[in-house]
Amino acid sequence: MSVASTSPQGLRRRRAFVAWVGSHGVLIVVCALVIAPIYFLVLGSFKSVEEFFSAPFGLPQHFSLDNYRRAWTEASISTTIRNSAIVTVSAVLISTVVSCLASYAIARLPFRGSLALRLLFVGGLIVPVQLIMVAIFIIMRWIGLLGTLGSLILVYSTFGIPLGVLVLVGFFQALPKELSEAATIDGASDFQTFMRIILPLSMAPILTVVILNGVWIWNDFFIALVLSTKPSVETLPLGILNFFGVYSTEWGLIFASVVLSALPVVALYLLMTRRFIAGMTAGSVKG
Amino acid sequence: MTSDARASVPRGRRVAKAIRRPRPHIWFLLPAVALYVAFFIVPTLASYWLALYDWSGLGPLGDFIGIDNFRRVFEDGEFRSAALHNVWIFIALFVMTNTLSLFLAILLDRKSWLRGPYRAIIFLPYVLSPVVTGFIFEVLLSPNIGVLNPGLEAVGLGSLQHTWLADPSTALAAITVALAWQWNALATVIFMAGLQNVPPEMKEAAVTDGATTLNVFRHVTLPYLAPAFTVVNVLLAIFAFRAFDLVYVIGGAIGAPNGATLVMGTVIYGNAFGKGSYVDTTQMSYAMAQGIVLFVFLGLVSAVLLVYLSRRERRVY
Repeated sequence: MSVASTSPQGLRRRRAFVAWVGSHGVLIVVCALVIAPIYFLVLGSFKSVEEFFSAPFGLPQHFSLDNYRRAWTEASISTTIRNSAIVTVSAVLISTVVSCLASYAIARLPFRGSLALRLLFVGGLIVPVQLIMVAIFIIMRWIGLLGTLGSLILVYSTFGIPLGVLVLVGFFQALPKELSEAATIDGASDFQTFMRIILPLSMAPILTVVILNGVWIWNDFFIALVLSTKPSVETLPLGILNFFGVYSTEWGLIFASVVLSALPVVALYLLMTRRFIAGMTAGSVKG
Repeated sequence: MTSDARASVPRGRRVAKAIRRPRPHIWFLLPAVALYVAFFIVPTLASYWLALYDWSGLGPLGDFIGIDNFRRVFEDGEFRSAALHNVWIFIALFVMTNTLSLFLAILLDRKSWLRGPYRAIIFLPYVLSPVVTGFIFEVLLSPNIGVLNPGLEAVGLGSLQHTWLADPSTALAAITVALAWQWNALATVIFMAGLQNVPPEMKEAAVTDGATTLNVFRHVTLPYLAPAFTVVNVLLAIFAFRAFDLVYVIGGAIGAPNGATLVMGTVIYGNAFGKGSYVDTTQMSYAMAQGIVLFVFLGLVSAVLLVYLSRRERRVY
């Protein structure tokens, strides 16, 4: 060892080893800091109330699904998860379709004011929801949609457009012009060109928009807080928060409902980690 | 963009096209524009108009009071202290982002068979909802069932035990930690994407010329990261100044304890929809004025960051 450390080659090797240990050490510590809170959450969801006090770090005595069963029925997770699913799927669908159509026109069918329109859409990304939701609440009350899933779907669909336009216009513009020109010469209408040529080539960025908006809508709390004025239209995050107040000491039950609310998105994330990470950067760096 | 696209199409063909198919793009644009106008443009404009009235949000519209609501925003001690909390959060996360997140991204840029799992774990907080994150930190720090206090006890630091979220002097810091836990994921990903734009030949050339690791980072990597710095810090400003969900889950609309965790978002919500007690009155017009102030403030911060950071981009390229 002493020989190795005095020769320049050995020194370099040793330094590389230290750097290797150091970098893995830092990464492992950070990963532990990320995992630890989630670990306690999942562990707690299987515990009885007494076990929280008797064994804060320990494993539960038996992994019973009792908390989950009760969360599904008593915490009305069955209702809120259904509401969240309906709202997320409909809003993502509407938002993606209208963003695709609009982005196609902005990117590939030149017209006066297309740049202004693009900026108007993308500018929506910095408007604080806190400001706009007060007025939306008043409008929804005025047109009688307050307290319906429809109001949530409309608002989420609209708020998903800025991101959709941001990602898709950039992508559509980068597609070679020859593609659509060839289709036009063959007699295809703009709509046919869009459906048969552009869309099939754009599945990756469309998936990015679907993922980013889907995660955001599924997790969003503020808009649901303002618009879900009765329990039957509450989405998951809202239902869970209201549940804290009612069952404030039934910790296992609350933990189980929190885990259930996160499970669908986390499962999707673990299945398609690469897609998610690519999507996260596409949504931010292109701006 | 428009003018380029137009210029590239010969005029004759453009005219012929226009005659053949008058404005086909209308049908592409209409659905998005209709939604956007109804639920984005109209509410935004309505906010500016309603902020000029003295109106609770219920019953007929109150008196027109001009800019009085805005004048009141600047004299409002609660709003000012909430804004300072936002600034505090921004500064704390700014420091963490440009050191820890950047460092993590650099470590994750190295090839290793563990890179996939590391990335998957470090980005996981991004897909958790702020409600879930807020809840997790609330229970971790709870004096009853939390694990931080027993954990300190177990490693012999029992004297540091604390009611973290009930003490006004530590509550905001605790919330900032929770925000940081979630924000770090996105910041690291963006830096990592930026690092992929650094051409490996450049680094190799620098190393061949005898540059140290630090010099390679300073003179090769950092310049290529300039756009990533711009994006990360502008997004951070939006994240920090619009913060609501997680803060509300932990501190509520009253900013428990004792207003220590109020941020601009929760103050606006409390004024618009009440703070959770039955005797509350709402002040929607005033809340909209505060929202507009927040919007203008955020716009200014983003603009300053954009101008400063993109000037830096130009300098290094």
